[in-house]
Amino acid sequence: MLLVGDSAGGVYGFDGESGAALWSHQMAHEGGLLALAINPEGTAFATAGQDERLLIWDAAEGQTTKAIDIDNGWVENVAWSPNGKWLAASCSRQVRVFDLGGDELWRSDDHPSTISTIAWSKSSELATACYGQATFMEGPTGTIRQRLKWKGSLISMALSPDGKVVACGSQDNSVHFWRRSTGHDSMMPGYPGKPTALAFDTKSTLLATGGDATVTVWSFQGRGPEGTHPGRLQLHVKTVSTLSFAPRGRRLASGGRDGAVVVWSLQKDGEGEPVGAALVPDVVAEVYWRPDGRALAALDAQGGVTVWRVGE
Amino acid sequence: MNMSEKVPVTILTGFLGSGKTTLLNRILSEEHGKKIAVIENEYGEVGIDQGLVIDADEEIFEMSNGCICCTVRGDLIRVLGNLMKRRDKFDYVLVETTGLADPGPVAQTFFMDDEIRDEFSLDGIVTLVDAAHIDQQLGRSDESTEQVAFADVLVLNKTDLVSDDTLDGLEARLRDMNRMAQIVRSEQANLPVDTVLNLSAFDLDQALERRPTFLEPEYPFEWTGVYSLEPGRYELSLAEGPDPEMSLVVVYDQRADDSALRDGAELCVRQYAEPAENVLPGESIPVGTHVNLKLEDPGRKSFLLKIDRPVQVGLYAQHTAEEFDLQLVSADGTAVALTTERTWVAQHEHDDEVGSIAIERDGDVDPDLLNIWLSRLLAERGVDIFRMKGFISFAGEPKRFVFQGVHMLFDSQPDRLWGDSPRRNQLVFIGRNLDEESLREGFEACLT
Repeated sequence: MLLVGDSAGGVYGFDGESGAALWSHQMAHEGGLLALAINPEGTAFATAGQDERLLIWDAAEGQTTKAIDIDNGWVENVAWSPNGKWLAASCSRQVRVFDLGGDELWRSDDHPSTISTIAWSKSSELATACYGQATFMEGPTGTIRQRLKWKGSLISMALSPDGKVVACGSQDNSVHFWRRSTGHDSMMPGYPGKPTALAFDTKSTLLATGGDATVTVWSFQGRGPEGTHPGRLQLHVKTVSTLSFAPRGRRLASGGRDGAVVVWSLQKDGEGEPVGAALVPDVVAEVYWRPDGRALAALDAQGGVTVWRVGE
Repeated sequence: MNMSEKVPVTILTGFLGSGKTTLLNRILSEEHGKKIAVIENEYGEVGIDQGLVIDADEEIFEMSNGCICCTVRGDLIRVLGNLMKRRDKFDYVLVETTGLADPGPVAQTFFMDDEIRDEFSLDGIVTLVDAAHIDQQLGRSDESTEQVAFADVLVLNKTDLVSDDTLDGLEARLRDMNRMAQIVRSEQANLPVDTVLNLSAFDLDQALERRPTFLEPEYPFEWTGVYSLEPGRYELSLAEGPDPEMSLVVVYDQRADDSALRDGAELCVRQYAEPAENVLPGESIPVGTHVNLKLEDPGRKSFLLKIDRPVQVGLYAQHTAEEFDLQLVSADGTAVALTTERTWVAQHEHDDEVGSIAIERDGDVDPDLLNIWLSRLLAERGVDIFRMKGFISFAGEPKRFVFQGVHMLFDSQPDRLWGDSPRRNQLVFIGRNLDEESLREGFEACLT
């Protein structure tokens, strides 16, 4: 199944093979939908929006099973823990964690600034990024485990699947990352634009970053990426807006403000070649891989959904 | 992307109690058929029938490089980023700031963030001031001063609480600080919506229409009279006037067209900078010298002017001819008719350290020289330069270029074709402790 939410506040379910529309709700979130996340089992999903509400849905039926009023401003991020037990939602300076049934387990203290993005690590820690810091909290309790500070606005975040590295894109046109074991940080400055798109591959070796029309790929093999040259993937003619690694292997999908969707085959050092490309009518908002890695979906700014089959 | 496709944004600033909420209420309740998104800091008593009101914490994001021009409003980037994804675009966005806000980061957000810059254009900054309190606020707070300095429109509100004289004084003070802004008066923020929205405030054409003299430099003299004279002795005759003395420079070979008058004015400024030589009634006035006519005696007084060849003379006088009933009388006792006369914007004391400087120059500018000059100027003085706007005529460019800047950031875009209109450069700087002469010299060096 392919689940899609749009900025106008609608939620839609499509058959993942045929594209047939299964169900739709045009006004699930009044004012606009801001986030959608599917649980690891694919049985439930959560949506959040400008109506200050968090909704939990049954994926097959397309019916809400729980509506939670957050009433603290726009609910901008939702994320399920890898074990499927917990659902996190951020709203203004606070993040709250719920169980599958929608009962609240804990809520954080106010962060120093509005939370820009959230992510779960494999070991069920919840990470948040905001202006000035990235914070790691214990999934079940919310106890703070680590605070990584940086005087800058952290606008995007990617956790390496092995849990060792957290990377953040910053408003000041740099990518900043920390080794979690030591808290040691490195900055990759010199991006022409702000890196809103970041993605780690499944092996935790490659970090793909946007920031302009070039996809810049840092390799963490050996002693890198410090002191190494990144791979520079060039095909887009406008800024890269979204990046996503395939569920297996070193295949990367990129979408751009030029409306291009490109699939790249990467090497361990971060260099790579395009293996397929297509155009959609407007800015690419998101690209998503089907869990089996054999199909790729792109959402564009006109509200279009395009799905391609991807060969081996 | 075309400018016209961008959603115009108005920033509304003003101290607590200046009437921002009243004005917002009025805008949102009035029938104007526009879709407005309002971004404000606290839900007030605001009706939301016609628009969307979004509550956002004023989050100032400084960057690690410590550069003030990189300081932006994070909440705006986030909220506007989400608004621009919607298909049902808004006609306008109105950003209300808290009373103590520095307008810099708000304005800079529309220059610094690429995505915001692609979708939105800063239409103007409207600052409300409380007529009863602004005088004290300006002395005490930098924020209040900056809000006045950044404004495209200054709303002098609560005018019913102070006298007309006080209002005139306030207006003069505000005008000194910001010569660019349109000043409007209101009692209870009862302004038409068009005063606040869709200002195209960066359009200097409009500013010039409102006040044709606003770009003119100020001079230490108010009046120039040009006379065509034959050789002989003339008397400069003055009645009693508002001052016991008057400064004057007489120049030879003064042509009567406006451009020649302005050249003459620039020349006379230098003469005026020299100490004046006192001239008593009955004495002779030297040509090309800064003199001080002594007028203490009662009744009409005459000074001698000796002309040795047929010549057109220019009299650059501290006061207008009207104020002293000034006449030039020939030896046969008849008054000489004026060939032409012109008045100037009079110079006066500036009390506030924040002020504006206008530069107006005919001719073409070398883009490379301008770029070098502006880059250096903004790198050195950007912190103190709040706003900069202007029109530039680049050599070889058929279109006029429009400039606008906030602190160290600036943006230039081609505007309309020059066509038959005279190619002229107009620049306004608003800032703290600006050095007029070095700005003028710097700009003049960029002319081809």
